[in-house]
Parts: sequence; C-alpha cells; structure tokens
Amino acid sequence: MVKIIGLVGSNSDHSTNRMLLQFMQRHFADQAKINLLEIKDLPVFNKPEDKKIPEEVQIMAEKIEAADGVVISTPEYDHSVPAALLNALHWLSYGIHPFVDKPVMITGASYGRLGTSRAQAHLRQVLEAPELKARVMPGSGFLLSYSLQAFDEGNNLKDREEVKKLEKMFTDFLSFVEICKQLNKAYAMNKKEVENFS
Amino acid sequence: MKIVGIVGSNAEVSYNRQLLKFIKNHFHSLFELDLVEIKDVPMFNQSNDQTYSEPVQRIHRKITNADGVIIATPEHNYTVPAALKSLIEWLSYKIHSLENKPVMIVGASYFNQGTSRAQVHLRQILNAPGVNGIVMPGNEFLLGNAKEAFDENGNLKDQGTVEFLKSCLEKFIRFINVVSVLEDKPAALLEDLHATGTIETTVEGVDMYAEDWLEQAAEKVNAVEGNTYVKLDRGLLTVDQINDFLRSMPMELTFVDSNNQFLYYNRTLPAEEMLASRTPGQVGNPLAKCHPEKVHKSVEWVIQQLRSGKTDSVRVHVPTHGPDKFVVHTYKAMYDQDGNYAGVNEYVLDLKPVIDWYLQQTGQKLVGNPDAVSGASVKGSSEGADTVSGASVKA
Repeated sequence: MVKIIGLVGSNSDHSTNRMLLQFMQRHFADQAKINLLEIKDLPVFNKPEDKKIPEEVQIMAEKIEAADGVVISTPEYDHSVPAALLNALHWLSYGIHPFVDKPVMITGASYGRLGTSRAQAHLRQVLEAPELKARVMPGSGFLLSYSLQAFDEGNNLKDREEVKKLEKMFTDFLSFVEICKQLNKAYAMNKKEVENFS
Repeated sequence: MKIVGIVGSNAEVSYNRQLLKFIKNHFHSLFELDLVEIKDVPMFNQSNDQTYSEPVQRIHRKITNADGVIIATPEHNYTVPAALKSLIEWLSYKIHSLENKPVMIVGASYFNQGTSRAQVHLRQILNAPGVNGIVMPGNEFLLGNAKEAFDENGNLKDQGTVEFLKSCLEKFIRFINVVSVLEDKPAALLEDLHATGTIETTVEGVDMYAEDWLEQAAEKVNAVEGNTYVKLDRGLLTVDQINDFLRSMPMELTFVDSNNQFLYYNRTLPAEEMLASRTPGQVGNPLAKCHPEKVHKSVEWVIQQLRSGKTDSVRVHVPTHGPDKFVVHTYKAMYDQDGNYAGVNEYVLDLKPVIDWYLQQTGQKLVGNPDAVSGASVKGSSEGADTVSGASVKA
C-alpha cells in the first residue's frame, strides 16, 4: 500500500491540524498507510558550522525518504507558517535532502474563517526552495476553517461536504504520487544539484 | 532617537549581525542603535507559554522603549529563519511589542538575491493583526553576496551601497515621525537629540561633531567678527562689543537652537572652573553628544516641556557643588519674533552670593521652615537634576 507521512505542523499539545491528519489516517486507511510525524521538541535551528543534524531529525528524514508522499498540515501564525514547522524544514534541508522531488499535499486548519490560506501560500514557496525542492500538488490545498467546531465527539469531520472535498483531493494526491513516479528522469540530477548547493 | 536592531539570525557567524554593527557604528550620528540577539529565545509553543521568560521580556522591554525597530533577516528556504519567526510569535501572542512600532527591514545573504523573498514574507508577517508593526514601504535594502561585501574592519566596501543605505535610514527616521503623527502619540518621544534635521539657520555641509566646527562653519557662511557693526533690537554694537557684553554676564549662558544643536556659550572661564563645564570643541555638537546616554531621556523631557509650550522655563538646583554654593540651571525657551520656539537659553547661576547680599543689605536672617517645600522640590525636579548633573559632569 502507498506509504504517506502526515507531518503535523504544530508543536501544540492541542492541535486541530493533528486532529485533521488523524482523521485522514483513519478515513483513508484502505487507500494508504498514513504515519504521523511530530515536530515537537526539535532544537532551534542555528545553522551549526559542523553541519551536525540532531538524531531525531535524522530519523524523520529517513521516514520521509522512505515514504511515497507527504501531507503537511499547517496552522497559521501571524499570516505565515509557524516557527516550529519552519524549524523542522530548516533541519530537514541542512545537508540532508529528503524532500527532493517528494510529492507533497498541503492541508491546514484554523480557528477562523480563512483556514490558513496565507500560511499555505508561504509553505508552497518554502517547499520550492532549492534545498527542499519538493513536488507540491498544484491547485489549492485543503483549507479547514472554524476547526474548533469542525469535529464531532468521535473526532471525525462533521461536514459531509468537507469530507467529500477532502476525499477527492486525497484521491487526486494519490494519482499525483503515481504521476510523480514517472517524473524520474531528472531526479538524480536534482539530488546532485541540491547537494552541491550548500 | 533610539532604535532597536534585531539580529534575525541565531547562527554564530552572521552577515546580518555584521550589517547591523556597521549601521550602528557608521550612522551613529543619525540614531543610537541597540543590537538585540535572538539566540536565547525559546521555540514558540502555545502549550508551553514562555512569554514572561527573561529572554522574551528583555527584548519586549527594549522594543517598547525604542522609537523604531530595524530587523535584519537572513533567508532560509525562501523565508525568514524559524528563530526570528519564533521571536515574532512570542511578541504577538500574549503581548504585542511591535504594535504600531515603525519597522524597517534589511537583509544580507550569501547569494545575489539578498533575502528578497524572506523580506516579502517578513513584511506580510509584520502586517498580521497580532503583530501590527508599521513597516516602512519601499526602501528595500538587500545585501547580496555578503561574504565579499565587507572589508576586514567590518565596513561595507561599496560606496554606492553605503550611500543607498544612508538614504534608506534617513527616510526611516522621517518615517518614524510620520508614524507618530498617525498614532497621535505625545511628541515627547520624538525629541531628536542627534539634530538630524535642519532648520533655516543650520549650517549644512559641516560635520557637527568636528572640533573646529566653529571655524569651518564661520568660513562657510562668511561670518562677521571683530569691529564689524551689528544692528540689534535695540542698539548698535560691534561683534567685539557683543562678546564683551556677553562675557560680563554674571552667569554661564548656553544657546541651543530648535534643532537641538549646541551653538554658543559665553566663554569666560576654562572648562574646569565653570559651574557647568563647556569646552571650545563642543560648539556645534548635537545635544546627544553633549550628554551621556543615560540622561538622554531627561534631556528630551526638558526640551519637550519647552518646545510644546507646557512651560517656558525649567529650573533645576544642582547640589553637587557643596554647601557654599546654590547652583541653579534654568532652561528658558527662546522664541523668534513670530513666537515660534527657537531653542533653549540655559543659564547657570550661583544664587548664594545674591541671597547673602540681600540678607546683609536688609539685615534679615534665614529661618528654617519645617513645612518648607525644599524636600518636595528636590524630589519633584529630580528628573531635571539628572539632566544637568550629567551634562555638567561629562561636558
């Protein structure tokens, strides 16, 4: 079965982005094996001269490397990606490059109406940076607004329309993962370029 | 003017730190720049609120007390570094340090983009409602190829770049003033002790900090001297006679113009014998140069009282001269013929001989009064007293 990493973009104990990924994990269990990755407790990235990567980052990188695709669910803080998620992405592109050509789907949950639209736009740009170079699925990501009210007591998304939208988008993502597998001619070159970059 | 410079990098080697250091040293005549490091700031986490931790509070206090903020951002992965974003998140969660604060963005990078993308993101981040900084539009300072940009003394090599940076910084100072109008803030924060502006009488093109400012400036404006007549309101004197007259005044006189530039004192005694010492080379200095930094806020306060018209004189007793003297500094507002504020006349006078003479002439004696306000007035004017003592000690 397709292996997907669900990257929780929040380091908060209570996160509707985590809930969204957990919901996807259950809801799409027959289509993909989704494993969640947490970004909590990573040290603050400080561009160490010795290029030494913390062990937990190394483990994360290996899991991402081994996966067919990644779903990143981001909160929005101050109209952008949370520092904690940026921090994880800094580490995950510092001398290691697990995201190169990796298919990525972006989702996001917010308490308000806009559903992380601006954070998602920033995240899309970040993932295009030379040392990440992921393949982000084109088209808009999944925006979950009013996320505190969005789940029922079984932690399932209440709104049938929203669920349908998410199902379609995730099915598309699985197709996107398949298509990306054919876009493999430049992979070795891309990987090499990225390694030379820093 | 006090500006906080946030080093947007927590790395040991940072060209953004170097850029801010250069701004601090090279443009010290424009403002005081206080560099702030972010490496001790913890990663933002809603579940572990450290708003009130020392590193966050220290930065919060500095920003709160500053007139503006310059952020120097690196670029990581097309955006701002996590460490900088984390700081901004802390400063916009339970507290709102940057709210309505004028902010300027600069950035240095290894490659030729010079943090162009990170700066756009940072602008958007600072615009978010919880942050609400007021970011100066345009004037983008992007320093690409930073490795080659500095010489061994940490100075920017390219003169054109330095000139452009200077123009951006000067605009930022004006921007700070514009923002204060926007925010309807009390003008008290805006006193420019570095005299970065100009007024009609300012002699431009001469370094205010130069020891021989007077000689240079006099030459520039073809100043008259000696036995040339000057027509006054009301009388006719030569420059020599005006000098004799002012030197004979029974007090030390100092003239500071409305641009906060120290222009004149009646030189009667060597500096060390004056009640408030002045040296010849100080003439022309901005007020910031005449006072130690710790009293700048007090100096600003005194001038604001006068400029705003709240009072036309501020009087301060300076007790550091011992019991045989009663030295009073009076800061008196000067006005031009149209009644506009024209600067400060500071006169320093020992009142003791005057009082002694009065008592002797009238045969009266001083009687202590337990209800007297001396205690209260000393306390009430303590802010001003700092101002003067600082000035006289240092100057």
